[in-house]
Amino acid sequence: MTDDDAAVSEEDSESQLVEIIFFKSETCAFCPRAEEVLRETIEDFGPEMFKITTYNVTKNPEKAEEFGVFALPTIIIGGMSVTGIPEPEMLLKMILGFKMGVRS
Amino acid sequence: MSQYKIERVKTGIPGLDELIEGGFPRGDTILVAGKAGTGKSILATQFLYRGIVDYGEPGVLITLEEPPRLIKRNMMRFGMDLEKLEKEGKLAIVDLSPARTTSVNIEEYPSFDLSGLEAIIMHHMKKINAQRVVIDTLSILAYKFKSRDILREEIFKMCANITSTGCTLLLTSEIPAQDTGLGVFDIEAFLASGVIVLYNEKISDTSRSRSIEVLKLRGSKHSSRIHSMRITDEGIRVWPGEISPGT
Ligand SMILES: Nc1ncnc2c1ncn2[C@@H]1O[C@H](COP(=O)(O)OP(=O)(O)OP(=O)(O)O)[C@@H](O)[C@H]1O
Ligand SMILES: [Mg+2]
Repeated sequence: MTDDDAAVSEEDSESQLVEIIFFKSETCAFCPRAEEVLRETIEDFGPEMFKITTYNVTKNPEKAEEFGVFALPTIIIGGMSVTGIPEPEMLLKMILGFKMGVRS
Repeated sequence: MSQYKIERVKTGIPGLDELIEGGFPRGDTILVAGKAGTGKSILATQFLYRGIVDYGEPGVLITLEEPPRLIKRNMMRFGMDLEKLEKEGKLAIVDLSPARTTSVNIEEYPSFDLSGLEAIIMHHMKKINAQRVVIDTLSILAYKFKSRDILREEIFKMCANITSTGCTLLLTSEIPAQDTGLGVFDIEAFLASGVIVLYNEKISDTSRSRSIEVLKLRGSKHSSRIHSMRITDEGIRVWPGEISPGT
């Protein structure tokens, strides 16, 4: 029943910010490119759709520990993470996954 | 032979120092390999505990497998109170066990480094001015990451950075049941400047015998035999004069 109720939930999900956490470090050679890919991928959406938090683990090692992030770059969207320079399609999938997660 | 003497770090395992010219070379990376249940975690934790209690060297335990609660409980059986040392600021147990994972990794691209893990470890080392560091167990990293070449290089880099501070680093690696190598990577052997192998072999239908072998230790004239080892009420103990009956 609730599954069919798409109109209502869609409205809900659209008002819901997509939370993206980007982990980088000062020594990480692949991080700048990963950040670029992330930025380019979400460009086509409205910027008000996202809440992006960036952690530099060289300055904030507690955050790497808190999230159990060993490898950098790592991007976390809605409980899912990717490591390394991501493909835009994968990020899109995760963003979509986040929206679906919010809906259900 | 050498002109200068290598500074040694007492292992805290009774009997082991005698096999290796007095201890691990300070600032080296030592790999402790063995099949499941051979005593790797106990040996590694005892190295830290005795380092603090007997030699005044603060230590960091990075646990990638067992949650701290269980480690503390197990070590208490040997009269080693880790909680107390933690409270005194001499020991840091860093819980990176799978139970704590907050996100699911869905993809790994071959363009990453381990600077996250390194930052976590270095942060705790600095906080307590650590002289000894244990990572238990490296095998978890091999399950976590599929890009082996990157992993090998990154672990190497991380170990080099940890030990460049003068810390002595002990890594554990689980050898799969049917395996004859040194563990899931088989790379660790040449990363580490020392390799110690623990055994718990069947010697008859009804009994097993624990033993220890120093496979390699940089700059050391070590025993090349397999020696008896036991897990007693005080922890692990090696009998340097006793050759394992299993060999
Ligand atoms: N109090 C004790 N007295 C004697 N033996 C003990 C005691 N506590 C544990 N053991 C032995 O130690 C073994 C576990 O040791 P440890 O956890 O160090 O093994 P491990 O090599 O780290 O194994 P794993 O690969 O599963 O992590 C047990 O199999 C048990 O036989
Ligand atoms: Mg263990």
